[in-house]
Amino acid sequence: MNRKKALITLLVTLAIAWGSIGAMLLAGWAPKLGLDLQGGFAVVLVGPEGTDTDTLDTAVEIMRRRIEELGSVQEPEISVQGERSIVVQLPGVDDRERALQAVGTTGELSFRPVLGLVPQSPALTDPEGDHPDNLDPVTGLSHPDDVNAAIAYLPSEDGFSVYVVGPAFLTGSDMKGGRAQFSGTGGHGGAGGWVVVPEFTDEGGEKFRLATGELASYPVGSPQRQLAIVVDGVVGSAPEVAAGVSPDEGLDPNQVVITIGSSEEPQAESEDLAAILNYGALPTTFERERVESVSASLGSDSLKAGLIAGLIGLALVTIYMIIYYRVLGVIAMVGLTVFGSLLIGAIILLGEFQGTTLTLAGVTGIIVSIGITLDSYIVYFERVKEEFHTGRPLRPSIDHAYPGAFSTILKGDTVTFLAAILLYLLAIGPVKGFALTLGIATLVDVFVSYFYTRPGTWLVAHSPLGDGGWFTIRGAMGRSSRSATPTEPVEVSS
Amino acid sequence: MSVLTRMYRGETHFDFVGAARKTLIVSAGLIVLSLLLLLIRPLNLSIDFTGGVIVTVENQSDVDIADVRAALGDIGQAGARVQLTGEGFILIQTEALDAAAQDELIVVAASVGGTDVNAVTIDAVGPTFGAEVTRAAIQALVVFLFIVALFITWRFEWKMALAALAALFHDLIITAGLFAAFGFVVTPATVIALLTILGYSLYDTVVVFDKVDENVELMHDRYTYTEIVNASMNQVLMRSINTSLTSLIPVGSLLLVGSFAFGAHTLREFALALFIGIAIGTYSSIFVAAPLLAFWKEREEDWVVARKRAMRRRGGDASLVVGDDVRPMAETVPAAPSVPTASSGAAARAPRKRKKRR
Repeated sequence: MNRKKALITLLVTLAIAWGSIGAMLLAGWAPKLGLDLQGGFAVVLVGPEGTDTDTLDTAVEIMRRRIEELGSVQEPEISVQGERSIVVQLPGVDDRERALQAVGTTGELSFRPVLGLVPQSPALTDPEGDHPDNLDPVTGLSHPDDVNAAIAYLPSEDGFSVYVVGPAFLTGSDMKGGRAQFSGTGGHGGAGGWVVVPEFTDEGGEKFRLATGELASYPVGSPQRQLAIVVDGVVGSAPEVAAGVSPDEGLDPNQVVITIGSSEEPQAESEDLAAILNYGALPTTFERERVESVSASLGSDSLKAGLIAGLIGLALVTIYMIIYYRVLGVIAMVGLTVFGSLLIGAIILLGEFQGTTLTLAGVTGIIVSIGITLDSYIVYFERVKEEFHTGRPLRPSIDHAYPGAFSTILKGDTVTFLAAILLYLLAIGPVKGFALTLGIATLVDVFVSYFYTRPGTWLVAHSPLGDGGWFTIRGAMGRSSRSATPTEPVEVSS
Repeated sequence: MSVLTRMYRGETHFDFVGAARKTLIVSAGLIVLSLLLLLIRPLNLSIDFTGGVIVTVENQSDVDIADVRAALGDIGQAGARVQLTGEGFILIQTEALDAAAQDELIVVAASVGGTDVNAVTIDAVGPTFGAEVTRAAIQALVVFLFIVALFITWRFEWKMALAALAALFHDLIITAGLFAAFGFVVTPATVIALLTILGYSLYDTVVVFDKVDENVELMHDRYTYTEIVNASMNQVLMRSINTSLTSLIPVGSLLLVGSFAFGAHTLREFALALFIGIAIGTYSSIFVAAPLLAFWKEREEDWVVARKRAMRRRGGDASLVVGDDVRPMAETVPAAPSVPTASSGAAARAPRKRKKRR
């Protein structure tokens, strides 16, 4: 290592660490705070035994849609955890009742006759006409949706058209579910393709037969021959009753398949529809396994406590490190700001791009990681002392100590990183947030050790602060007399 | 020269392995005690594991416990645990409740406390979720231990992996025992703390073993395994102490702040577990993991030979039993591992110059 190389490495590292955090703060980015730190509302919902993953995903989608309708929620975090749990986190929400209502029930599935298909709500194009009462003044759509309404205006899933539908023929309780499968002949236009096979209860099957019979009396190609499959006020799909179905008999519920029209991703689309049918057919609402609401003041108290603890701890550690390691202690504490900048920067980036929030457990993870990163300095400095005590001069000791120290740091960090990854993958709840910050911290620690500590210490060693009085690296070596003046007999020190 | 000065200068020659014969007995005693305690007084698990409801509401109407109980009795929750905190909050804890009963409880809590329904903080956990949290935690732990054991076996050797795991269980059991003894509540935060302790303890042990591994390379033809372990531990002693201190200081301030700030009660439990665990973890990597390794390795054929050779060379008693050589060995513990490399030059130079001065 030479001076130029060390200086460049150090400056680049400092620029990356301090520059990026500075830029983020200037841009107004800050770590996204979790529920427990800013207050809000969290529910864990557990689906019935045997709920499959697709159905859970559909439920998450539907809940997200409903929560967005609530407004005032900053960043709803809804995710599937474990086998059949859905965790809904609503930071900043204080209207308990509405939030619970939004996430607590399954979406209502209904099969309704299509009366017409228009690009815009008739209530907007023809304000004078005879329209239902429950229309949203802005969109002109029925809200809330009533499955028994004589007429309702519901959006298609892509939001580009509006279906005018009649009262429901059958609802979710008439369904057992549905499954997507590839059919050799059942596809669009008689060719092979993906289809969805709905399964009805006995009663539902009978209703379905009557409904399709009724629709079959309309001419082929007419929108009125379509059967709208509606979930939560949105038309998920509107298949047309095939030509040749007798209006007197309708479709046999045990033989019916829904073909997916020309689509770029027929498989995905058929699986989506099957999931909607399964989801709508869920016999009960999701169980509320855990309800947690944190008042905003309690959350900010926790944050304050965590920050105060961190600052006090940092101040005490600084004093200790500087008394013990003199100028090396200063290197460690400046290094801690590099470490902190990179760690917080990573958390901000994750929050910005992944929506990851910083929870109380995450804050404790940061406090714990202070110990981990300081250890890397201590391992290195103690090794320098050791080398120095064997009689090596100061500067070669510093160079010679690094490879061994780095190898130890790497091994230690690997173990901690393994632990963090496993915790993140396997654990649920608050442990995840802790594991995340811990894992990032170990990576940052290795980076800082190699690109900051090594060149930084080298440069200090080659400056007036290297060799000299109390506040130098030599001063931190303890047994300075022995190698400084090798003329002294060794026995003196024992 | 005082012990502290010698420690600062890295000149200590403590016989850790010899001392471990006594400390291991203490450790074993503590483990047995902890296990007994855990049997007699099972861990006080929080609602996160058992399921239950905790409602927190500000006591604006300044009611007392009896008032709260009376109000709870009206909705059939007479069995609830009620607590008034020093900060003017009412804490109500019940068994797991269904959604309707939770709503009922919130309304009652709000009316008793004299606040709005939305100002009530509730934490309700169903028994299934608690079971899942526990299951996930245990699964994570088992996989973690397995992989760590593999890692140590790969980087070092399997005997080190087993010694490290032994130290780990030592830490876990004693920490759990302390929690049982004092009836501290075990929350997910404490579980995190326990896992962190595992990390710390392992990290510490890995640092010691790394040194042992390195020293075996340098010293194996002249010293016994016990001596090498002792030398290694003396070398990493200040690092262990400093690391523990710099880890304990932030955790200690967390404990302090957590004890005063109400909102931070999760922090307090977390910090407590961490504080105890880090202290025990440091102790165990010095007095459990490394000595166990030394006792074990001394029985290997190669090291028995090495011991005989070393003793013969020094004219000592070749039949010395492991760890018996407390005093004489302390002097033979080399001050630094780099015997064949760095110090040879300095050692050779020093006497020569001394002559000159005379």
